[in-house]
Amino acid sequence: MKELTVRIKRFDPEKDEASHFEDYTVKVNDGARVLNVLHVIHDTLDSSLSYRYSCASGQCGSCAVRVNGEPVLACMEEARDGITIEPIHLPVKKDLVVDLLPTLEAIAFLQPAEHAVLPKKSEIDAIKPLKDCIECLACVSVCPAVDVTKFLGPTAMRQQMRLALDPRDCGDRIADAVRDGLFTCTTCQACWKVCPKEIEIPSKAIEKLRAQANQRGFTLPKHQEVALLVRDTGRSVARTGPTFAELLDADVVEPLGAVRATVGFFVGCMYTVRLPRTALDAIEVLKRNGIKVIIPREQVCCGSPLIRTGQLAFLDTLKKRNMDAFRFRGIDTVITMCAGCGSTLKNDYKTPFKVMDISEVLTKYGIETPAHLPIKATYHDPCHLMRGQGIKDLPRNLIRQVVDIVEMPSICCGSGGGVRSGNPEEAAALGSRRGEEIKKTRAEIVVTSCPFCEFHIAGHTDKQVKNISTVLLEGYKEKDRMKAAGFPKGKNSPD
Amino acid sequence: MLADDVVDCHVLVIGSGGAGVRAAIEASQYGETVLVSKTIVGKGGCTTMAEGGYNAVMREADSCGIHREDTLKGGAYLNDPELVRILANEAPLRMGDLIRWGAVFDVTDTDEIAQRPFGGQRFPRTCYAGDRTGHEMMTTLVERLDGTKVSLMQEYTVIDLLMDGETVCGAMALDEKGRFILMTADSTILATGGGTKVYDISTNSSSGTGDGYAIGYRAGAELIDMEMVQFHPTGAVFPYDARGRLVTEAVRGEGGVLINSIGERFMQQYDPERMELSTRDVVARAIATEIQSGRGTKTGGVFLDVTHLPKERIETRLPVMLEQFLKFGVDIRTQPMEVAPTAHHIMGGLRITPECQTTLPGLFACGEVSGGVHGANRLGGNALAETQVFGRRAGEAAGKAGKRDKTIDLMQVEQQQDRLEAFLEGDENPAKVRVQLQKAMWKGAGIFRTAPDLQNTLKTIATLSSAKIKAGSPQNLGECCILQNMCLTASLICRSALIREESRGAHVRRDVQQPYDAQNSPFGHTFLSLSRQGIEHREVGA
Repeated sequence: MKELTVRIKRFDPEKDEASHFEDYTVKVNDGARVLNVLHVIHDTLDSSLSYRYSCASGQCGSCAVRVNGEPVLACMEEARDGITIEPIHLPVKKDLVVDLLPTLEAIAFLQPAEHAVLPKKSEIDAIKPLKDCIECLACVSVCPAVDVTKFLGPTAMRQQMRLALDPRDCGDRIADAVRDGLFTCTTCQACWKVCPKEIEIPSKAIEKLRAQANQRGFTLPKHQEVALLVRDTGRSVARTGPTFAELLDADVVEPLGAVRATVGFFVGCMYTVRLPRTALDAIEVLKRNGIKVIIPREQVCCGSPLIRTGQLAFLDTLKKRNMDAFRFRGIDTVITMCAGCGSTLKNDYKTPFKVMDISEVLTKYGIETPAHLPIKATYHDPCHLMRGQGIKDLPRNLIRQVVDIVEMPSICCGSGGGVRSGNPEEAAALGSRRGEEIKKTRAEIVVTSCPFCEFHIAGHTDKQVKNISTVLLEGYKEKDRMKAAGFPKGKNSPD
Repeated sequence: MLADDVVDCHVLVIGSGGAGVRAAIEASQYGETVLVSKTIVGKGGCTTMAEGGYNAVMREADSCGIHREDTLKGGAYLNDPELVRILANEAPLRMGDLIRWGAVFDVTDTDEIAQRPFGGQRFPRTCYAGDRTGHEMMTTLVERLDGTKVSLMQEYTVIDLLMDGETVCGAMALDEKGRFILMTADSTILATGGGTKVYDISTNSSSGTGDGYAIGYRAGAELIDMEMVQFHPTGAVFPYDARGRLVTEAVRGEGGVLINSIGERFMQQYDPERMELSTRDVVARAIATEIQSGRGTKTGGVFLDVTHLPKERIETRLPVMLEQFLKFGVDIRTQPMEVAPTAHHIMGGLRITPECQTTLPGLFACGEVSGGVHGANRLGGNALAETQVFGRRAGEAAGKAGKRDKTIDLMQVEQQQDRLEAFLEGDENPAKVRVQLQKAMWKGAGIFRTAPDLQNTLKTIATLSSAKIKAGSPQNLGECCILQNMCLTASLICRSALIREESRGAHVRRDVQQPYDAQNSPFGHTFLSLSRQGIEHREVGA
């Protein structure tokens, strides 16, 4: 037996105006799950505590709650001392019980064809991974799009894909999916990261449905424009000034000191065309830290804007060009500074070289200590970095060397998945929410590591939005300035 | 006070597992159908947790006759032969319904429904969807249900049947806030599932509290063979709170072996021919015997090992097992599981005709709440088939039954409300009573039984039943009703177990010696109702 204290969010609509937290200390068995803690509280301390469960073995999807903010199945999550247990983000009926029915009822059902036949093994194999869903609705509870626009949510799309793959179904799944918000998903990946069955809904359902929708002519006009631009220019955004290549005017950048590592640099469309100066900042930071950088000029768009919107017609050509560009130079490590490019190269390509985000490279080789600036910053996790590449702490550790960080919740800014171009109102609504969170932190600047996030968030906050490389470079510049001014050695002084 | 709300319909289905949903789908063709469920439809009951599979004759080389024989033999010849005949004959048809409605069962490389071997069957007859077969069936059934006009009343706890004289005419229920409502119907179907939650160690979901047995009994229906409780051989043993969690028979079907603490593959001593794929009663007793004889593991189980199987096979055929054990720190690809018997299924239940008519006019029953199909021991894979075969039959018979005038018995309603009000004034913690009941049942009415133990358990149950249990608020009223159902179900099990003075299938009386085998037993069903109890005698062929 062991004793632990948990905090539970309580709300009874018949008595309470607002929710409140209550602490409970209970004795439970070793290995007890969160559900067992709820049982003990209900059975011994407070029978008014409401929660839902049924199978207690991870198979029915009744008991999803948030533990320390993250949705989990109460029956499978081990209980720990000091945890906070809250309902998932759906309308709360009482305490931990949320209203699942409206969402469940909106999920499509199979319309049996007149002469249904048993699907072939290949069809069964394709459908099966989408049928593990236990409809716990954890995915819906974390979906940013559901909150601000008409979208039935991740699992509804999963079901449409499952039906689209089934020869026994006679519904028009693609048209229905488009109607139900197929193009509102920002591909932020929040859904499958909380899925207890780890169903990769963005890549296994949404992007696949979008590809079928593309075949059927449902692709949004703005997305088609992007595809044409990529086809004609190799870039997903049109140029508005000098490009990165024009500004740098070199294929190889030698570091200031000894060469500690050599990497190929996959610049990406946004940093090439729209934010070239940010990319130059990154070059300076790499230079200063002994990283030799090779920038093949043949590289083109990684294809992410096409994959996310289901336009796959010339994707393979792009992939081949990019892979060849680095392969022919014998590069074994390719660095990205765009979260979207990095995630795409890591997850949608089979590269003969290793792909690393700039924060991974700088962490691996270690960086010269920059000056610490008296600035309070907040960090925005790019979805395609945090969830797409699993990188959460590395950027923070680097940024903290320059400025202090005040945390805010990690939520999509609304720019991904073609939503900024295709559904600007939704993107703006999500952007405004980010703006509010930023305001709450009272930070002076916002740091992030994705050009789409940088660009989009900048439109929804009065704070400056800076790339991690820019902030590091500012730290180095301050260090140089202090050194030039002959400051005595101290905490923030040069080594 | 009179109920605020009365819902009227042609067919009322109580319960939302495989049998209830199948019944509602069928009944809806005949008239307005209401499905009332203690849980969210598709999430409650035990069907969605069923892992292993669905028995159906799907191949030329197999036959319904062999399925029938296997089921009768496995059931120690206590089964109702006509119900078994129907089960074997119609299981493939109902499988066809599921396939037509979109179920994603595993198929072979030649695109036929795949089948795996299960205990006590001479042919690999168990169709499956990995080890989440029941879940696959439930999602299919709920999708189909969505396509009908059935009205759903979800998270309502039915507390008793409404009687118009001797005829069932609906039910009384509580909503999630404890508000009382009435439902009237021309026909009522009980599909409330099983009740092994009356035991300390059980595979059942939160709904396995025996409500249907208790509700049916109180209304006057006759129940048969309530002593026949299946202890599944393989339940998890740790951590403590996960004890009893089902470890599917498919683990053995796929080749898993049972090993005791001294490394012996002990089934050799109990059933050398069928080994791990003997019937569940035999395997459960073997494991219990090994543990009691000191050849168990430190955690009180035996080893169930699949590490000799290809990893890929474990990952594709047993993904839920792999995931669940990983959560508790055991990788079944490289480490053996530890398992012990766990209360799983009640073979007995309301006596039904082939049309699922109970002994009460107006009341039908299907699925685990009914008795007779499985006799003294159920074969793995027959329960899922039963839900579909008899769910459809109950829905059809109830749907076809005529309309009638229904009179609500105000006396009965008042009595019920008095019962509820008493809970609000009670003083005993129901959770405490529940734990005492479960421990008493595990100790005194488990795998091995004697008359003195059963009598003691009955006494304990009587004491617990008379406790003035307390509902902290109206929302807790349902819990109190359910606890009373558990007590009543437990007493039915013990009473029947005392009546059957023989060992048969899952029911083992250590205090009785018998000179005959199951096939030559002079006994038939035990039966219990408000008006009579006893055991049937039968002619034994020379």
